[in-house]
Amino acid sequence: MQITGSSVAQTTEGNIAQLSKNNTGRLTDSSNTQIMDELNRDADKLAERLRGFIRGQITAFKKKGVVLGVSGGIDSAVALTLCVQEFGKENVYGLLLPEKESAPSSKTLGAEICESLGVSYEEVPISPIIESLGIYNKKEQIIKRTCPEYDPEIHNTSLVLPDFLNQGLLNVPHIRLIKDGETVARHRLRANDYLELIGLQNVKQRSRMIVQYMYAEKMNYAVCGTTNKTELVLGQFVKYGDGGVDLEPFADCYKTQIYALAKHLRVNEEIIKRPPSADTWSHYTTDEEFYWRMPIHILDQLLYAQEHKLPLEITENNTGLPRDTIEKAWRHVDRVRDSTEYTRAAPPICYPGI
Amino acid sequence: MEQIKNGILDYLKDNSFMERGTVLRDSDSLTQNGIIDSIGLLELIDYICETYSIEIPEDMLTPENFDSLQGITDLITRLAK
Repeated sequence: MQITGSSVAQTTEGNIAQLSKNNTGRLTDSSNTQIMDELNRDADKLAERLRGFIRGQITAFKKKGVVLGVSGGIDSAVALTLCVQEFGKENVYGLLLPEKESAPSSKTLGAEICESLGVSYEEVPISPIIESLGIYNKKEQIIKRTCPEYDPEIHNTSLVLPDFLNQGLLNVPHIRLIKDGETVARHRLRANDYLELIGLQNVKQRSRMIVQYMYAEKMNYAVCGTTNKTELVLGQFVKYGDGGVDLEPFADCYKTQIYALAKHLRVNEEIIKRPPSADTWSHYTTDEEFYWRMPIHILDQLLYAQEHKLPLEITENNTGLPRDTIEKAWRHVDRVRDSTEYTRAAPPICYPGI
Repeated sequence: MEQIKNGILDYLKDNSFMERGTVLRDSDSLTQNGIIDSIGLLELIDYICETYSIEIPEDMLTPENFDSLQGITDLITRLAK
């Protein structure tokens, strides 16, 4: 039996127990841990805790309500529902913030959830901000020099990373050209083009942050974030973009827990079924294609097992992955976590002490 | 082969997080030793393609080919033939 980072104890029956810390921080026998059950349990209690947290923070900030960017995705739908349950629909304001490359369903689903909850909302397209900075043109230039056959009239585009579990390739981003729903070309991005592209794309989330604060300050409301723990651990948010908010209620809830909350709160099934996406490419690119590199139920189980120092064999039983793949995935997660430390960091303060 | 290895080593000394005086053995992991991060890897791939005038097929972008001096040297030797 190989034990990785957990304790082994002899029980009164003489059996070997594997001790790991559970969600509450207590040491428990982890030999029968079903990670998905752990992540799906007590959604009612979790919702109650989150509502309490949101109430506490808004009160501490002396704000009168909450502004939320509503993307048509599951995180903002759950956050909006919790805020309405806690503060009433009169004290919550929804903002739909589409741009030229957003999927039409983002707006439709966003409007639908606001209407079903009776929340006042407004659509503020951010395309003019993006256009004023020449973002679309600059992005087009990068795609053209990366993909010589690119024709904006016939191709949609997408930024993707290779699948982690099946391909075992390095974390090297490629631009994909899609014609009539089929991938027709795939080209590796050069480092300087990738960096420029990320800077350009992130203006979208940062523009949304500006608009949200414009409304929040006018109404004396706070801006509620929707970044979940899976995203936080992997640095999958934009610093001062979607990460530029007043509170982050989901930052200790894995994405799987957000799904459990959505089911408990009876969020629109269409929103629950829609594959998560940053929705910043003309071809709808899922978070699995660009960032996670594996299905979310596998990723969350790996993150949970790592966080709770579950033994390798328990992780094997839960994920169905061979141990060398699990170890490679954990090393990959460690590298991603290290390289995104900057994204999570608040500006360091110098205390001169004089 | 030694020339390629030394070329990559010089590149890493100038462009990575490798500290002065670090002795890098042929099989040492560049990622696990914190010498290159994800952006550093993309830059290294660009450098290799430009310097040795090679195109690296996507299926050769593997940790085995890029995580050590020996792996990189072998890859370049194979593709530059």
